[in-house]
Amino acid sequence: MGPKRPDDLELAVVVEDLHVSFAGREVLHNLSAEFHRGQLAVILGRSGSGKTTFLRAFNRLNECFPRSETRGSLKLKLQGEWRDIYRDNVPLTELRRRVGMVFQTPHLLPVSIADNLALPVKLVLGLPRRDIASRVAWALEEAHLYKEVKDRLDAPGHTLSGGQQQRLCLARLLALDPEILLLDEPTASLDFRAALKVEELLLSLKERYTIIAVSHSLSQARRLADKALIFRDGSVVQQLSREDLQISDTSQVLLEEIF
Amino acid sequence: MNKRITSLAQACSWLAVLTTVGVILLFLGFLGWRGIDTINSALFFGNTPPWEAITGRLPVWHGIWPACVGTLALVLLSSLLAIPLGLASGIYLCQYASGPWKRWFSLAVELLAGIPSIIMGLFGFALILFLKKSVAPQANTGLLLSAGCLALLVLPYLILLTQTTLEALPHELRLAGLSLGFTPWQNMIHVLLPAAGRGILSGVVLAVGRAAEDTAVILLTGVVANAGLPSGLFDKYEALPFHIFFLAAEARSDAELAQGFGAALILLMLTAALFLGAYYLKSTFTKTWDQKDLMI
Repeated sequence: MGPKRPDDLELAVVVEDLHVSFAGREVLHNLSAEFHRGQLAVILGRSGSGKTTFLRAFNRLNECFPRSETRGSLKLKLQGEWRDIYRDNVPLTELRRRVGMVFQTPHLLPVSIADNLALPVKLVLGLPRRDIASRVAWALEEAHLYKEVKDRLDAPGHTLSGGQQQRLCLARLLALDPEILLLDEPTASLDFRAALKVEELLLSLKERYTIIAVSHSLSQARRLADKALIFRDGSVVQQLSREDLQISDTSQVLLEEIF
Repeated sequence: MNKRITSLAQACSWLAVLTTVGVILLFLGFLGWRGIDTINSALFFGNTPPWEAITGRLPVWHGIWPACVGTLALVLLSSLLAIPLGLASGIYLCQYASGPWKRWFSLAVELLAGIPSIIMGLFGFALILFLKKSVAPQANTGLLLSAGCLALLVLPYLILLTQTTLEALPHELRLAGLSLGFTPWQNMIHVLLPAAGRGILSGVVLAVGRAAEDTAVILLTGVVANAGLPSGLFDKYEALPFHIFFLAAEARSDAELAQGFGAALILLMLTAALFLGAYYLKSTFTKTWDQKDLMI
């Protein structure tokens, strides 16, 4: 069975005319894009081209930074229903639970491995105590981490290796039952082997989620991406399909253009 | 050349550390030498049988027991007043205040920190005079007034340490909770405050130590040389620092002066016990938190 064509896939995200500025300086302008459920989209571009800001627009995390302003529309299909997160009144807690984010470096809560998952499950989902342990185990299993940590769930999260920490962050998102996963250079702080493990995990997850990942590596994009968006100075300058990415000529041109 | 400067700086640092430690040891040694012999049941209870004194059935005339209880009551009461207020103000300044409000509040806190304790005592004294002449003619200086003035005195330490510790937490830690869908309040209670526990605790320890040793404030707001065990919030009381001050100034015999040294040792031990208590509280409060990995 070949890769699914975009026509067969369910549309999950529509971005139209998105503008984001900080303290009056526009970082993203006039940005439009679409993303499908079951696809892994990779965003490529130089540093400072607005990739991270774009990801943070999806869970309204830009608002945690001083003097940010967002205009335009960003529609997400959540629970089968289209919601414009900047116009419709989507509660932040609900939005951030459905749209999970993994950062460049692992952002662990300074608690034990198990509590890194249990605390959000308890606070955000409000699951009864008896269901939390099984939820934690399930999410760790999903993130291919359970076997590695099952004997030291009470150890501090920071005792894990970088790659394990990043998978713990992913497990933490999965425990909250998200629909969209935002990944901001999730392998940037990892060595090659740990990065490959995270990549394998992402490939195994992409069927069930809409995944949007920022990457700094063209070769990673070629391994992972169903499509790639090339960012320059806060807008999308090019969209490439998986096939486009595999052609070495295209890649060569890309390399010269963006890196 | 550079090497010589480095070794000179190193020598100076060592000298500074040794001087500090030396002074502390000298001080403790002197206190111990003069005071250790006086520490016995007579120091605490005079001629009164201990059990009767502890339970308050018989008054203590020549012992420091009432002063110990007075100081403890004073510290507890002023902590009860100052700690919630200080934490809340620190959280407000770090998390919610912005622009001119933040500047004005911070300035007010700094001003408060700069007020000498004797002025705080005068303020309490003037307040009572005002109350006496206006709404409450029966108002008088007492335990609650002293605790209130002490709370004002230690409040800035608590506010500033809470605020600076919270502000020093890495931005990622703040984002981690928020990106998972925590409300700002949940993020504060479950992530930021526990992570800032160590800094906040040092504020509490400073505040408790300051409240235990201050003499100027209580001098004007209700402490007396002989009052027995504190009997109520509005009554006069005894306190260790004042007792030491009193004995040092007006000792009539060598034995009384020696009792002053003993009382000073006991005050030190009491403060140390309060600090240990605070550390114990912290370790139960943050027992799930991995201390060595917190980035503060």
